[in-house]
Formats: sequence, C-alpha cells, structure tokens
Amino acid sequence: MQNSILEISVQLTEVFSTSKGAVYQSDKESCWYIDFAGKVACFDYRNILKLKKAIYGINIEEILMDSSKSADVEIVFICACDHCYVLTVLEIIAFKELLEGTFVMLNLNHIIQDRLYRISA
Amino acid sequence: MKDIIRIKSLISADVEALLNQQIKKEAQSSSAYLSMASWCDRNGFDNSAEYFFKQSDEEREHQLKIYKYVLDMGGTAISPEVTNVKIEYNSFREVFEEALDQEISVTQSIKNIAARCHKEHDYVTVEFLNWFFKEQREEEYKARRAVELFDLIGEEGTGRWEIDKHVGKINYNGQAGE
Repeated sequence: MQNSILEISVQLTEVFSTSKGAVYQSDKESCWYIDFAGKVACFDYRNILKLKKAIYGINIEEILMDSSKSADVEIVFICACDHCYVLTVLEIIAFKELLEGTFVMLNLNHIIQDRLYRISA
Repeated sequence: MKDIIRIKSLISADVEALLNQQIKKEAQSSSAYLSMASWCDRNGFDNSAEYFFKQSDEEREHQLKIYKYVLDMGGTAISPEVTNVKIEYNSFREVFEEALDQEISVTQSIKNIAARCHKEHDYVTVEFLNWFFKEQREEEYKARRAVELFDLIGEEGTGRWEIDKHVGKINYNGQAGE
C-alpha cells in the first residue's frame, strides 16, 4: 500500500496538505487526487468544483446546534462521480480546511502562471 | 504545475457565480414582465400588454445570451428557479414604476459584474457586458418615458386610455450615438 502511493506520487504535485489529508495534482491526467478520510480519490475539473460546492454548502453551525438524536454524519454525494464521503462534523471541518487551502494554492498558481509565464512568454 | 482551472475555463469562479446570478435576474425580469402583460391585458390596456410581452421576450433573450456566454467560456450555466412572481398590481401607474425599478436594478447589477471583472482584469467579459450596457440605455429610457407619460397626459378622464395608446409608440432612436 505504502509503495503504491509512493509510485503515484512521482507524477503528482502536492497542492496542499494538512495533518488530516492532502491534495495532489496530476498534470498528465488533468485531475486532482484527494487523500482524505482513509482513501485516495480522483476528481476532474468539474467534479472538484462540485465537491467544493457541496462541502462549502454544509452548514456546520446548524449541525453543531442540532439537538435531535440523529447521527452527526453528513453524506457527501457528488453527481456523476464515483466517490462518496460519509463524514462526521470534525471531518467536515477538516475537509473544508483542506479544500480551502487547496483552492487558495490553485489560485496562487493561477496568478503565478499569469504574471510570470503568460505575460513574459 | 499546470493551471488546470484556467485551461478549462476563461472566467473565474467568482465571475461565473455573478453571471449565473444575472441569468436568474434576467429570468425573473422576464417573468415579471409577463405578469405585467397579464395584468394590463386583464384590465383592458392592450397596447401596454403588447409592450410588456415584447419586453419579456427581450429579457429572455438577455438571459440566454449570458447563459451561452458562460457555457462558451467553459463555465457551468445554471438554469434558474423563478419564484414569487407578482400577480396583482395596485394601479396602472404602479406597473410602469415597477418596470423602471426593475431596469434600474438590472443596470446596477451589470455594473457590479463589470466592476468585479475590472478588478480581475477580465476584459473579455467586460467586452461582452458592453452590449448589455448599451441595451440598458434603451431599456431605462423606455421605462422612464412610460412613467413620464403619466405625468404628461394625466390619468383623469380618458387619460389612461391615451397613455396606453402612447406606450405602444415609445421608441428609442439612440441618437446619443452608437
């Protein structure tokens, strides 16, 4: 298992990581590998945006304030995507932090590409 | 590292969200005009009903224009939900006052998008929006002129009938220049 992750990581660039997970980009496949909640899942451009929307859209405060007896888990299902997450509140917070960091880094990469390469090229 | 998001889409997520908001606004305007047409027709103001039907079609065209732009640029266009469409109006004048209000709000919101685009240096979208700015000149002019007719002609006697007759003739010749 350890070896297979290492093998993949050769072609991957780490975008952002926290103690709970990490996001890697594959330039060759134009997608992102998200290592979180015990699995590594691949997301393409459309799906990562759908995932971002789904996670950002979860009202964490509402779940925390909810006094009903139902379990504090959220099922994140992305349409037309093979992956699904069943997350606890703490995991949602950690996942949101991971995605926020990821999009900040992707944005930063965009700015760098724009300023350094596209203009000077 | 490749800039995948930029490769896939010309517009940023923020601009895309604003454009989707505008799509919804245009759809709401189109429905509101349709509702105004219905009210005018029910109350015997046939020319005004005709005018609002046309306006409704125009708003729908605007909606589609933005919709297709978002798609062409690699974004996700969202078909909007339109709710809370008014059915009744208190008076003939109120219908036109609301129409003007609506146009002012559309102009304002397009200005907002353009401001965001300028901030991001997204001149491609700015250029696209220029068509809308020009269109808003005409839209606001027509709506303002209609309200003006109420003051000029007056609603007494056959005033409303006269206003209705003139609403159909409102035309913007755009002499302010292309």
